[in-house]
Amino acid sequence: MTNDEHIEEYPPILKTWPRLYWTVLIIHALIITAFYLFTQYFS
Amino acid sequence: MHPLDWAVMLATLLGIIAYGIWKTRSVKSVKSYLLGDKDLPWWTIGLSIMATQASAITFLSTPGQAYEDGMRFAQFYFGMPVAMVILCVVALPVYYRLNVYTAYEYLEGRFDLKTRTFTAVLFLISRGLAAGITIYAPAIILSSILGWSLVWTNLFIGVLVIIYTVAGGTKAVSVTQKQQMIVILSGMFIAAIILVNLLPEDVHFMDSVAIAGKLGKLNVVDFEFNLQNRYNFWSGMLGGVFLFLSYFGTDQSQVQRYLSGKSLSESRLGLLFNGIIKVPMQFLVLFVGILVFVFFQFTKPPIHFNTANLTQVEQSEYAEDLAQLEAAQTVIFDQKQEELRGLVQAIRVEDEGQIVAQQAAVQALIDQDHEVRDQVRELIKQTNPILETKDDDYVFITFVMNHLPIGLVGLLLAVIFSAAMSSTASELNALATTTTIDLYRRSMAKDRTDQHYLNASKFFTILWGGIALAFAMVANLFDNLIEAVNIIGSLFYGTILGIFVVAFFGKGSNGNNIFLAAIIAELSVITIYVGDEILEWYNLGYLWLNLIGCLIVVLISFILRYLWTGFRAQPA
Repeated sequence: MTNDEHIEEYPPILKTWPRLYWTVLIIHALIITAFYLFTQYFS
Repeated sequence: MHPLDWAVMLATLLGIIAYGIWKTRSVKSVKSYLLGDKDLPWWTIGLSIMATQASAITFLSTPGQAYEDGMRFAQFYFGMPVAMVILCVVALPVYYRLNVYTAYEYLEGRFDLKTRTFTAVLFLISRGLAAGITIYAPAIILSSILGWSLVWTNLFIGVLVIIYTVAGGTKAVSVTQKQQMIVILSGMFIAAIILVNLLPEDVHFMDSVAIAGKLGKLNVVDFEFNLQNRYNFWSGMLGGVFLFLSYFGTDQSQVQRYLSGKSLSESRLGLLFNGIIKVPMQFLVLFVGILVFVFFQFTKPPIHFNTANLTQVEQSEYAEDLAQLEAAQTVIFDQKQEELRGLVQAIRVEDEGQIVAQQAAVQALIDQDHEVRDQVRELIKQTNPILETKDDDYVFITFVMNHLPIGLVGLLLAVIFSAAMSSTASELNALATTTTIDLYRRSMAKDRTDQHYLNASKFFTILWGGIALAFAMVANLFDNLIEAVNIIGSLFYGTILGIFVVAFFGKGSNGNNIFLAAIIAELSVITIYVGDEILEWYNLGYLWLNLIGCLIVVLISFILRYLWTGFRAQPA
């Protein structure tokens, strides 16, 4: 495999890299929201 | 320490090291030694990245930080997933396309040799200092608590790391880190379960969480924008993104982890895995600290967590004063038990008025306890002015040594030593790679044989191991160990990141512009930090230094480029 061919690789799930990146960012936003609710609930 | 704990600790540590050396026995070329065989799957890369960042300090200092300051430190990591995505989009494809050994190699093609060398040297300074602290920080705490010699504890960590890093190179580092990370995560999870089981029978898990919340310890997210507040959502998302972009994108100790991936996809997945897992993992480590806090509300803690300090006071003329303070602490502790039960009861029946009253009563007793502890710190200073009186970093290890069952003490010590070794191994490996590739092979000894560079890489690993050990032997305890490492990083990362930002996005900049901009930025960052520390200019949180350093590089290189092209455009 040449180095340029690396660039054409696809992720194993969700078909495209942008979809996977957005999924990661959305999960992160959900985690922060959960932490915020945790902070509010227990304080 | 019980013989079973010794057996568990040594079997875990030596077993992992032996496995790493055995798995990498066929490493015979410099490429294989510095890049592995480029055959690592994403989960090994992800765990290796996590293990590189999570030093022993993470597992000693972070629970202590939660004990004193609550969980707000979790926000420090909020920028990480964003940084991981940016790196996957921008940096990884470039590194893979150019097939580089180090991140700094890219800078020569983009700018010139002096920029590559300058950036590599900045990395060597910051990472070389941090490697010493990575060994020293756990060594001083463990030696104090276990009664071992500091020199021998430093040597135990340092020599073992040097042996397997020299033997197997980068692949040995990744292979051992995977095992070490499994031990670390399992150990911390078991510690959390044991802590819950050690609470009094009439206090349930949810009661303990509610108590911590009412006492202000569950402050995970704070959206208030305040530049002087070290940890809030904004410092994590803005300053943190820049710090992690720099750390993961330009620090060779991390770049080397994902460059040994089987493919670009595996490296990307490894980074994204780290981005998703890191924040919850840090939450778990901080939460363990919160459970330790609640545990010590119901079980009388030592009046000072660094027992070596207490021993000195007990053997001094202040022994009587210490005994009086211990008696006062016992009275406060006994009073607190009643108020805590009242608080638990009020929370269970959701009686808001009673909750507020009990909360105030418990907090008043905690404040009294803090006053007694401050007086103990004064006694320690009077006994011996050079002793470090901050004891946050000793909280978790004190709990481990005094309250965990036999066998698990050995496992948790293995966790701490594993963490120390995993991060130190990456650092030594990266320092040796950068020295070999960016300085030695590029500027000192060109066109030698592969065997020559392989031997040079091994020599530089031993050399950097020796330097880190020497620094560890003479280092003094910083205000907070984990912060010390992050502050050192923040002094250099902004400039390094700025250079890479201009490299990736500043199409018209040349080597002279960026070199001058980088020098001005580095001097500015150091001036701002020193001015803030000594003259107390603004009391700026150190995370902002990453942003400032980066912006100065970008801004000045842009101005210089404009001036240069403007100058050239002038008619004769």
